[in-house]
Amino acid sequence: MGKAKIKLDKDLLEKVKKYAEMSGYSSPEEFITHCLEKEISKLEESDSEEEIKKKLKGLGYIS
Amino acid sequence: MANINRREFLRLGLSAGSLLALGSSSDLVTKVFGKQETHKKAIILGLDGMDPHLTELWMSQGKLPAFAKLRAQGDFRTLETSIPPQSPVAWSNFITGMNPGGHGIFDFLKRDPQYYIPAFSGAETHDPSKTISIGNLVFPLSGGSYENLMRGRAFWQILEDYDIPATIFKMPSNFPPVETSQRTLSGMGTPDITGSVGEFNYYTTEVTELKQDIGGGAIHEVYVIGNRVEAKLPGPTNTFKKNHPESSIDFKVFIDPVHPLAKIVIQDHEFILKEKEWSNWKKVSFPMIPTQSVGGICMFYLKQVRPEFKLYISPVNIDPADPAMPISTPESYAKELAKKFGSFYTKGLPADFKAITHGVLDEEEYLAQDDTVLKERIEMFEYELSRFESGLLFYYVSSTDQRQHMFWRFIDKASPMHDPRLVSQYGDAIENIYKEADKILDMALKKADKDTVIMVMSDHGFTPFRRTFNVNTWLKENGYIRLINNWKQGQEEFFMNTDWSKTKAYSYGLNSLYINEKGREGEGIVNPGTEKEALVREIAQKLEQVIDPATGERVITNAYVTKDVYQPQQREQAPDIVMGFNRGYRTAWSAPLGRIDKKVFDDNMDKWSGDHCMDPVVCPGILFANQRIKAESPALYDLTPTILSLFGIEKPKEMIGKKVL
Repeated sequence: MGKAKIKLDKDLLEKVKKYAEMSGYSSPEEFITHCLEKEISKLEESDSEEEIKKKLKGLGYIS
Repeated sequence: MANINRREFLRLGLSAGSLLALGSSSDLVTKVFGKQETHKKAIILGLDGMDPHLTELWMSQGKLPAFAKLRAQGDFRTLETSIPPQSPVAWSNFITGMNPGGHGIFDFLKRDPQYYIPAFSGAETHDPSKTISIGNLVFPLSGGSYENLMRGRAFWQILEDYDIPATIFKMPSNFPPVETSQRTLSGMGTPDITGSVGEFNYYTTEVTELKQDIGGGAIHEVYVIGNRVEAKLPGPTNTFKKNHPESSIDFKVFIDPVHPLAKIVIQDHEFILKEKEWSNWKKVSFPMIPTQSVGGICMFYLKQVRPEFKLYISPVNIDPADPAMPISTPESYAKELAKKFGSFYTKGLPADFKAITHGVLDEEEYLAQDDTVLKERIEMFEYELSRFESGLLFYYVSSTDQRQHMFWRFIDKASPMHDPRLVSQYGDAIENIYKEADKILDMALKKADKDTVIMVMSDHGFTPFRRTFNVNTWLKENGYIRLINNWKQGQEEFFMNTDWSKTKAYSYGLNSLYINEKGREGEGIVNPGTEKEALVREIAQKLEQVIDPATGERVITNAYVTKDVYQPQQREQAPDIVMGFNRGYRTAWSAPLGRIDKKVFDDNMDKWSGDHCMDPVVCPGILFANQRIKAESPALYDLTPTILSLFGIEKPKEMIGKKVL
């Protein structure tokens, strides 16, 4: 993993630490990585991917 | 192509081949074929999913007199189904007289091994190869086309070689219909107008009903303002425009301020529906560019007027009077039926599974819809019977399958979805459809003379579906799949969180398991040859030993190594293992699209409570004939040479079956 540092507001950092622990993440870094990846994947996810999923899920046998 | 990544591949829309190829034209021959007079006649009824145990039970109770009569005249056997027992696979066995290794349909879903992306296995759409762009518009210079991916020849094509006429009504896996001059209407696999299996639209003011990503339909939030609702009906993607935007039609609903009824205004239609009333078919036309539009047909159901407004619109079916895609041979056949009977369901699997699963239609509403399907089919069967003089008539019923999927929970007390309070209302839904099938058979028996051979067959039977098994999770737990991030397990489909450099096997589809093979898969790591062979045997053996800790039962009764059970012609495309699930078990809901749930096992908490994607051994089909059936254990692919033999035709060498009459 790279070593770039990101500045976070102190209050936010405390919340991150608190919720990372509550949600079972092994570290605040893992929690932050998860959140960022989730948001980025939303932006990256193409219409076609959604379209394909939608069409395939129309088959009664899968959901 | 090799240089693009999986997301780029998806973005380019190269995987599903499911866009409507507008501007296409069919090369199908228009001449009606087969006018040779032959005194030999055969009527075959294909009753999807009809189960031998239930048939026998209700025959013994005197509830299926036509079936009992046919058995007395001839014979009744269980019919060996396909590996796996999925409808597209099974019907392809029947159509071609081969097993999946010959016809190349292995599962509802196939996968692109380069990018690990799933797609439907039956048909592909090819966009026009030449286009011209003017501003925001893209015009096709050559027609797009549709390709049926089933390999081998259909038996009615062989009958055609010998000038034996055939009418093939709604045969599954026959979309687009294979090239022939015989009269054929496409069946299961025929999409709706959007190119999908079927997308309903549901308009509601009730916020709690709003769900995203439901698959198979869209739920739209609407507002009643001054007793009026304004909404849009989505249509096919517009391939005439860059980026293929979705087309749509505006419509309005005027709610009666006093009575429970409403007027719907869409294009040139204005009609009034009472609460809980279905409309008849309405033709709609989606504008693409000023000179082009795509037409379809749909039905409206006014579920509720007040306090919440609820309107269901069926998937927009291809209009048989003016088909946007090829659905019949000759092209005029669908139009002829539409002229005689008006609009009718053209989409495969016509009753709306997804609407009942998501609670948009309730049981009664689903049955009402399926009754309409059945009524249309019976009218057309009467017509085809009345003009049937020689050759072969094949007629297909979907309702037997569709009702068993949804209503099995009412005859299975061990189902997690069994609700004793509803048994008095819906406990006889399956029995009733068997009785309807009996009436259809009676029509055929009355038509038959001494020269007519009658066969009744189903592609598979049915079993309860009580527990789910996520094979991808099992593969992960047993070290065959490695995730990139363990904490993301269960979140992503299409194996997006998978480290392929450390993954040895994966499952797409309902019964298929693939080895991550070097040289075949995009990021394969298992060497073909002895390394792969040993891994296939190892996984197959382990799968057959899996026990459900909740019940103590075996989950997979047979893990079929396809190299051992499939003929060779198309075997390279086959999964490496086909999982044969025990009675009561099926693959988990999310596993077919490559999601690795957190749990391996779960209860099946879906209304979809009967299934057949199991081990072929636990769900054989039926075979009745008005002659003695010589084979003790006939199989689907035996029926094909049997049909040919009725007309004195030798079976082609690629067919693996033997005649059974």
